[in-house]
Order: sequence, then C-alpha cells, then structure tokens
Amino acid sequence: MNALEPPPPRLWRTTAIRLAVGYVLAYALALVVALAAVSWTTAIYSDARARSQLQQELKLLTHGSKRTDTQAIKDAMLLRMHGASRKKRLYLLVSADGNKLVGNLLAWPTEEDIPVDGQVRTVEIELEVLPPKWFEDDSFIPVIATELPDGGRLLLGLGVAQAKLLQDITEYLSEGLLLAVLLSLAMGLTLGRAILQRINTISSAAARIMAGDLSRRVPVSPRNDEFDALAGRLNAMLGRIQQLIKGMREVTDNIAHDLRSPLTRLRSQLEITLLEPRTEEQYRRAIALGIEESESLIRTFNSLLEIAQAHAGQFSGNVQALDLCALAHDLVEFYGAVAEEAGLALAIEDCSCVNIEGSRDLIAQAIGNLLENAIKYTPAGGAVTVQVIQADNAVELRVNDNGPGIAEAERARVLERFVRLESARHTPGNGLGLSLVQAVARLHQAELTLRDGHPGLHVSLRFPRMRSAKAMS
Amino acid sequence: MHLALTGKYEVIVADRMLPRRDGLSIVRILRADNNHTPVLVLSALGEVNDRVAGLQAGGDDYLVKPFAFSELLARLGALTRRQQPAPMDQRLQVADLTLDLRDQSVKRAGKPIRLQPREFRLLAFLMRHSGQLVTRTMLLEHVWEFHFDPQTNVVDVQISRLRSKIDRDHELPLLHTVRGSGYKLSECP
Repeated sequence: MNALEPPPPRLWRTTAIRLAVGYVLAYALALVVALAAVSWTTAIYSDARARSQLQQELKLLTHGSKRTDTQAIKDAMLLRMHGASRKKRLYLLVSADGNKLVGNLLAWPTEEDIPVDGQVRTVEIELEVLPPKWFEDDSFIPVIATELPDGGRLLLGLGVAQAKLLQDITEYLSEGLLLAVLLSLAMGLTLGRAILQRINTISSAAARIMAGDLSRRVPVSPRNDEFDALAGRLNAMLGRIQQLIKGMREVTDNIAHDLRSPLTRLRSQLEITLLEPRTEEQYRRAIALGIEESESLIRTFNSLLEIAQAHAGQFSGNVQALDLCALAHDLVEFYGAVAEEAGLALAIEDCSCVNIEGSRDLIAQAIGNLLENAIKYTPAGGAVTVQVIQADNAVELRVNDNGPGIAEAERARVLERFVRLESARHTPGNGLGLSLVQAVARLHQAELTLRDGHPGLHVSLRFPRMRSAKAMS
Repeated sequence: MHLALTGKYEVIVADRMLPRRDGLSIVRILRADNNHTPVLVLSALGEVNDRVAGLQAGGDDYLVKPFAFSELLARLGALTRRQQPAPMDQRLQVADLTLDLRDQSVKRAGKPIRLQPREFRLLAFLMRHSGQLVTRTMLLEHVWEFHFDPQTNVVDVQISRLRSKIDRDHELPLLHTVRGSGYKLSECP
C-alpha cells in the first residue's frame, strides 16, 4: 500500500447515508409545509362552519326575530341547551340589568367587549366564565350576540376545538416524522454498509491487480445485480489489458530474439572491416553492406510495430469506406511487373465492386503481402489470380496460386511471427508477412483462411459487409 | 522557435519530439503567422493519423524515423524545389524527353512513346523532380499512394520498365539509379 492509495471510505461518508439524510430533510420540509396548509384550511373551514351554525341557532331561538319575549326565548333556550357543553355549544341569556337568566356560561364575558350586533366574530372568553371541563386552551371562540327589545342580551358560542385539533395533527405528524427519520437513517446505514462491502471487494481486487497480480479478477457473485455487471465489465477490461500486455511482451521478446542476430552480424562486419587497412573500394562495399543490413533491420522493426499496433486494435489510419476491388486492381497493377519478371501470370479475375470499411493503408499492405508471398513462392510458369467475391454478408478477397502450397500441419504455424518454413530458408524475408495479414484481418473483423488449392495455396480474406455509418472501434 | 519565426529559411525541418513541446505547435504558429516556408516534419510517430496530423498542422512533408539520410535529403530537395516558382505549364521537359500533361503524351527526340497510365504518373513525378534524388518511398507515396514498404523490389522493376521505354535506342540515358538511395532523372548521372 503506498501513500497515494485513497483511504477506505467511512460509512457516514457513503452515498447511501447522504441520500438517506437528504431524504429525511426533504421529508421534514414537506411535512412542515403540509402542516401549515392543513392548519390554514382547517381554520378557514371551521370558521365558516361555526358562522353558519351560530346564525342558524340564533334564528331558531328567536324564531327568525319574531320571538322577542325574553321569557319565551328563555324557554326555547332551556330546551336547546340539553347537552350543550358536550356539544361545545355556549348559551347565555342575561336580563337588561345583566343578571344571568339561563345558559351554560357562568356570566357575560368581560375579557373582551362583545358587540351585540348579531354578527359572528371570534373573541377570547376568560376561562372563569366558561363551563367546567371546557377545553382548557380553547378560549378563542366564535360567538354571536344580540340584544332583545327589553334590553336583555343573548350570547351564543360554538367551540370548534380548533387549537386542539391542530395540536393533535401536529403531534401525529411529528411522531411520523421522527419515525421516518429513524427508519431512513437505519435504511441508509444498512444500505451504505452493504454497498460499501461490495465496493470494498472490487477495490481490494483492484489493489491486488495494481500490485502486479494481473491474472486476478474481481469476484462476481451469483446475484447478477448491477455490481456484478460492473465486475463483469471490469473483468473483461482486465482480460483485454492482460492480452495487450502479453502481446507487447511477445513483441519485445521477438525483437530481442530476431533483431539481435542481424545486429550482431552488422557489428561484426563493420569490426572485421576495421581490423586491417582496406582499399577504398572495399570500404565502400562494407559501408553499402552495412546500410543494406540496417535497412532490412528497420524494415523488420517497422513490420513488428505495425503488427503490434494492428493487434492492439487501434486503428492507425482513418477508417473509410473502401472499394476493395479498386484497391485490388491497383495492387495487381503494382505487382504486375514483378510477377511478369518472375515468369508468373498475375491477373484479377472476378471483381465485384463492394465497399468495405477499413484503413486503406493496412488493407493494401495485407493484400500486398499476400501477393508478394504468392509471387515469391510460385515457380516460374505458374499463375496467381486475385478475386473479389461478394458473399451473403461478407466480401471475400482471394489470392490463389498454383505453387507448392503449404502443408496442412503448417498452415496455422505460418501465421505466427517470424515463422519461416524450412522450404523458404533460401528466399529473402523476415517471416512477418502473414502475421501482419493476420493482424490486419483481426483488426477489420475479417477472417483469414489458408486452403489447399490442389495444387497451390488459396488464401482468403473475408471482410464483413460495410455496416451503415458505424465506426469499427 | 525564435529563429524559425524571425529568420528567413529555404526549408525548415521540425522534429515532433522536442523538449517540452510538440514540433507541430511551432508549425502551427508559423502558419498562423502567415509564414509559408516549407516544413518537413520529422517524427518517430509513424502512424497514418500522426502523419495526417502533421500535414494538417501545416507541414509540407512528413518523414518517419528511422529514415535513410538520403531520403531526408531527397525530400528536402523536393520541398525547396517546390518553393521556386512552380512551372505551371502543362509541358515538362528534360533534355529531349517531353511530357504533355494535357494530352497525356510523351515524346523522346520527337518520337512518341506509349506509356501505361501509372507509368505516365511515374514519369511525370520524376520529371517534376528532374535533377533531384527521388527515393522509392517518395515514389510509393506519390505515384501509387501506398504507405507501406514492399518487401520485394517492385519499384525497381517498375522503374526498369519505364527506363526500357524511354532510354532504349537512345545514346544518352536519362533515368539513373542512385545506389542505395533511389533514382534521378537528369541529363547527367
């Protein structure tokens, strides 16, 4: 573990906890808003209800103002008053001199001056005059008061237990809120711990891989959830990286193995030349030889790099729509003279114009390598033919010769880097030609096959048909 | 950098891997400065998109390391030559060999020579760079538009065919092979 390693995340810093806390806060805010709205609408509603009920009650008692006799009203009130306190109704009838005639209010309230105008208004009534067992803190009561012709006064009130109701609601809601907070926190903690655990497995696997164990993989659980999907992806990525590194290592090994001997040869040639005095002509020859040798070294080196790049799956060139037939024509024309010189007939036979997608440079080189091989290994008098054939979902390029061919057992081996068959020892070459073709084919998702031509070798490159404007990467 | 911006040069060779800076940025600054000195970009980054980037930045040619020194010289020669008032006429002439781009005809000492289209392109390229060394890679890139290195002597064979068409039956050979480097089309070897 080095200093750069990030510390393992604390539980309380996990996303799950943050989400839970945020959720609780949002929930509380919503509750407060809801509470305010509820209390507001409750107030409006109960106020309106009280207003209409009080007016109705007054009308009933005074028989629509037709009953004006105090005694008659008193009788009516006595009838209506039954169970009044329980129904939160207040009644009071006082005579002109202020004495209580009937009612469940003990006396005319004095806390606030109540206008006797027959209008409903909410006033505060002192507790002393309220009937016993009245809601303790419900002293704001909508009332209606009116004066009778003989100077007596009538007061009606309707307790709505507004404050009590609101208090109850608030209590329930806050209890709910507390429960929600606790539940969310508990859930956040459990979730956070669970997620943290899953992430820690991935993280520790990554640490191991970083420490050099490239073959290690992130464990995938049988749950098949999003973490397993992520782990699967990571594993696929690791596999690809491992493959690339292996390829790189191979290239390095190849370079070390196959460039060392020509370099040693070059060096000893130059050393031998220097050992004793030579004529100018001899020096010239030695230098020219040296240049030739280094040029072939550079060529091998470049081929290796190209193969490595193609293997790594990076498109070095711009991907473009490419007429395989036109390219084949160009190459056949290009190599025509060489083939003729070697006493071979090189011709393009079938050719249907179909576009494929790819890098012109790489495909040209691949076809060039195939043609060079065919020309190099087919004895004079032979024929090399090139075909571009349209198959169902593929475009097939074939290079056929009627030379000695390659024995079945060796066909897979010739695709490897630096492999040269015994029969090819006397010809120039570095054994990279078909490896490059193979790498280019793989990069273009093409299939390279070598077949027996009875006689000769039939090489085929099957490219997938061009898909509509889709990148190849 | 300062020198490139202030001095007047025939041609500039810009290496991409300069300490602390990509040579291409210099080329971009030069071009933004309306400086049209030909630039050859030199780089170990040899992939096609690197080359394209080099040319798009304003480079006139791109040479990938490792390279033969003769290749560098030949390309520099071609660049400086291009800088001179280009012969915009449609007729190229070297000694008694003439090439007419309009009707695609070639004549040596007044006698018409029949060439394949690609041979015509090859000759036209050689004539445009007459008196200069032209390397195989340059021919591959400009005549055939291939950016790979054939393992066989394809270019040599094509050249020898062209040579047999233009130099045969004539006392003065025009198409010379420069050993280990390339070719040259000129009156004197």
